[in-house]
Amino acid sequence: MMNEEFRMTKEYPIPKSEVHPRKAWLRAWCFLILSSFLILNSSFCPAQQPAPVPAKKPATDGKVWGALVYATTDAAKLTGSSEKAPENQKDLFGRLGKVFMPYTHFEIIGQHVQDVFREYESWVVPSRDLFLKIDSKGPAPDGGMNLHLQVWREQQVLVKTDAVLHPGSPLFIGGPKWRDGQLLFVLDLAKK
Amino acid sequence: MKTPSDENHDLIRWLDGEMTADERRTFEATLQNDPELAAEAESMRQLSESLKTHLPAEMPVPHADFFNSQIQVRIAQMDLDEAREREKAAASTASWFSWLRMPWLAGAAAAAAAFAIAGLVWTQNSSSGTSTIASTYTPNPAVHAQVFHSSDAQATVLMLDGLEPVPAEKKIVGFRVHRAESDAELATTTLFDENGAVLAVVAMNAKGQPTLLQ
Repeated sequence: MMNEEFRMTKEYPIPKSEVHPRKAWLRAWCFLILSSFLILNSSFCPAQQPAPVPAKKPATDGKVWGALVYATTDAAKLTGSSEKAPENQKDLFGRLGKVFMPYTHFEIIGQHVQDVFREYESWVVPSRDLFLKIDSKGPAPDGGMNLHLQVWREQQVLVKTDAVLHPGSPLFIGGPKWRDGQLLFVLDLAKK
Repeated sequence: MKTPSDENHDLIRWLDGEMTADERRTFEATLQNDPELAAEAESMRQLSESLKTHLPAEMPVPHADFFNSQIQVRIAQMDLDEAREREKAAASTASWFSWLRMPWLAGAAAAAAAFAIAGLVWTQNSSSGTSTIASTYTPNPAVHAQVFHSSDAQATVLMLDGLEPVPAEKKIVGFRVHRAESDAELATTTLFDENGAVLAVVAMNAKGQPTLLQ
């Protein structure tokens, strides 16, 4: 009886709707491999480009205005530059005249408003011929700023200096002679 | 256990006769059992005897009178200096007390105090908000930096003397830089005008010198 039952069970035909164990294993392996591939792919190879990260603006300690000025005694010798002094520097030429005698005529050749970066060097480049490198050394009392300055003439450093700048108290740098006059560099710390 | 240095110390004390009777008996018993130590003791005893025989017990100091007189002179000078210092300090105190007795002192002191306060206020006002230069360095020894403050111009002036003039035929090109962007990785700074156009790029060359690229 038992043998009969056994034989009947073993030889019982498999319905078409049921899956053979071997095929089930095969399907399971395929599913496993496919899902693994999808998981790995989604983890390491994003299907689409990530949203662009907005560039982080570097920290600053302040802002400076720098200008290259040509000083001469003869108005006819001015270069004809159209650069105008900003509103807060309207009396600049009068102040320069009190220092750089005998020059009576001044004109701005180039100017540059520059953030003073806290962690990086900052360049004030009102012209390609005479420019300034600034390294911030942190704030000073009364709204001032400790700075390390380097005045460059093309690829030659003219002077290195440690300065404390205050808004409204500009630094006038007497540079090289040019034509009938002299090139001056003006650096002023902007009010916060 | 005794170390060799202890033995040497005992040996010296034995030779110099510094041991008590008990110590001497003990040490001499040790000598009898230690032939090496006994030989050393005999050698040192002979050396000591030889020194005592050949050298006098006391040696006279050469030029003793001169030596003593110089010491006495130095001591006298030090005493004199101390006395002078004491007199000076006493005179200074006395003079201050005599000044304090002057009748016009109160008025003078008040005027001095007012002057000092005014000076302090002026110093604070003048130093507040004034740019200053702490130090300068000119790599070219022919160039000299001169720093001064111009009260008329309300500016700090850094005058560079001895610079080579810019050739007259050279055209100085000016920029109007509105903003700049720094790239820390590339160590460059890009300069933009007010319309956002690139004016120049400042880059450092291998020598650490700035180069302007346009």
